[in-house]
Amino acid sequence: MSRKTKKRISTAIRVVIMAFFLLLVVLPVYWMVITSFKTSAEVLDLQNISYFPRKFTLENYAGLFSQYDYSVLLKNSLMVSVTSALVVTFFSMFGGYSLARFQFKGKQTVVLFFLITQMIPAILVIIPVYVAFSRMGLVNSYLGLFVYYVACNLPFCAITMRSFFERIPVTLEEAAKIDGCSRMQALFKVVFPIMFPGIVSVFVFGFIGAWNELIAGTIFISTPDMWTIPVGLKTLIGKYNVEWGMLTAGGVMALLPTAVMFAVMQKFIVEGLTSGAVKE
Amino acid sequence: MKKRYVPWLFLLPVLVVLLAMFGYPLLKSIVMSFQNYKLTAPDDIFFNGVENFKKLFANQETSMILRNSLAYVVISVIGQLLLGMILALALKKPFRGRGVYQSIVFLPWAFSGFVVGLIFRWSFNGEYGVVNDLLLKLGLIEEKIAWLGTPGLSLAVIIIAMIWIGIPFFAIMILAALQSIPADVYEAAEVDGCGVMRQFFQITLPYIKPTLVTTTLLRTIWIFNSFDLIVVVSGGGPANTSQTLTSYMYSAAFGSYDLGFAAAIGVMLMIVLGVYALLFLKITRYDKAGDF
Repeated sequence: MSRKTKKRISTAIRVVIMAFFLLLVVLPVYWMVITSFKTSAEVLDLQNISYFPRKFTLENYAGLFSQYDYSVLLKNSLMVSVTSALVVTFFSMFGGYSLARFQFKGKQTVVLFFLITQMIPAILVIIPVYVAFSRMGLVNSYLGLFVYYVACNLPFCAITMRSFFERIPVTLEEAAKIDGCSRMQALFKVVFPIMFPGIVSVFVFGFIGAWNELIAGTIFISTPDMWTIPVGLKTLIGKYNVEWGMLTAGGVMALLPTAVMFAVMQKFIVEGLTSGAVKE
Repeated sequence: MKKRYVPWLFLLPVLVVLLAMFGYPLLKSIVMSFQNYKLTAPDDIFFNGVENFKKLFANQETSMILRNSLAYVVISVIGQLLLGMILALALKKPFRGRGVYQSIVFLPWAFSGFVVGLIFRWSFNGEYGVVNDLLLKLGLIEEKIAWLGTPGLSLAVIIIAMIWIGIPFFAIMILAALQSIPADVYEAAEVDGCGVMRQFFQITLPYIKPTLVTTTLLRTIWIFNSFDLIVVVSGGGPANTSQTLTSYMYSAAFGSYDLGFAAAIGVMLMIVLGVYALLFLKITRYDKAGDF
């Protein structure tokens, strides 16, 4: 085989593989999206499953808002996710800075502790926390859910933030200090602005973590007007009857913010993931 | 202020939150596992020795649930690892539009278990599902399969969904490792007449081995712990045949409101995970490294 044919074959294989993965991701999402634009009669048409809406409709989206108060779910989800992600980001900026810039006794233990918390199953934490929350009156409150989301997303974000700090030369900070800045001024005026993309991607980690969470939301919140999006949508799955049209419409809307964030921040998120979770 | 307190001061908020939200619950779980603690009778809580553990080991479903957990974790991890590696290898060489392509194929990373569960539950629906329709049209099956109503098959659907959602993470990690391999190693191999297969096994694999090991170990534990897909796709059914340890614990706590029994499952989980964590630290040498 000549070099050229060899190269052609390997390119062909690569194209096939890449098409496979593209379809693997796109097809299930496509199926959800088109279902959300079908009329309920078409969704439940047993004889003839349609691969493109015969009659394009927005009734499922409208129904979510009129029958199920989707705007309330959206507001609740946004509120809990944004506030918890902001606090996570803020705390990890300082925690990450400490781990990146200081040498101190017990540092390794702290990092190990962060790692161990990543291995604890959520349900193990949720049950006792639920008991404690119900005593403190934090069940059915945004505060309870907020505190839980902050705790869940902190360890990973702090470790990720640390690795973003480590990429910034210490000399920058030292130069600022020589110019008369205090440590805090150097941080806020020099280091944080350079790290801005890293900070935003840590915010995205915190946001997505809270936005996508189902279990704790189901357990901690039982009042419908306080539900988050996944918790509220889950009630559309009845025992005998599932509102597929509205459910898929809700799914599409739940995906949009995270998908947009990911598309915009992909480069930094990928960097954060690779350095935050494991480090060779 | 003394200098050595400074790093701790920076860490303080993180540590306070984590100790409160992880330390307390673990201790409380251990206490609860020795109690008769039912949400239906909140005023009647008392220590009942090892009753909860007896119930757990006498339960006929326990061994099935352990087997389910094992199958769920092992098959999902292997599937994610293999497919993630293939995707990463295909993405290694730059090409036009790679950024856009990556944004699409890595997207499931940002998806919630809830929505993914929804997609798969809908696609594998026995009556209206697209999977049955396609299989029928291709002539691979004679009649519609009740995927989620058949023991074994419902767990299979959950595993497929789990693999789907986890491919990007593996691909991202492996791709990063691949890109850190110096190009001249391959050039030298090429000059020496090394074939593609040999290059893969003798250069690529050894280089990315540390990443593979750590990612696989981390992912194993995450999959073991996660059960939102199970709750959404099958609810553990039919008849608990798709329950894993964590989803079963969830059902015990918030389906039958037996928190004491759930806590006993939790203690078992802690022991399993504790052993696993020790192995993890040993294998990855996180415990030895001065810095990670």
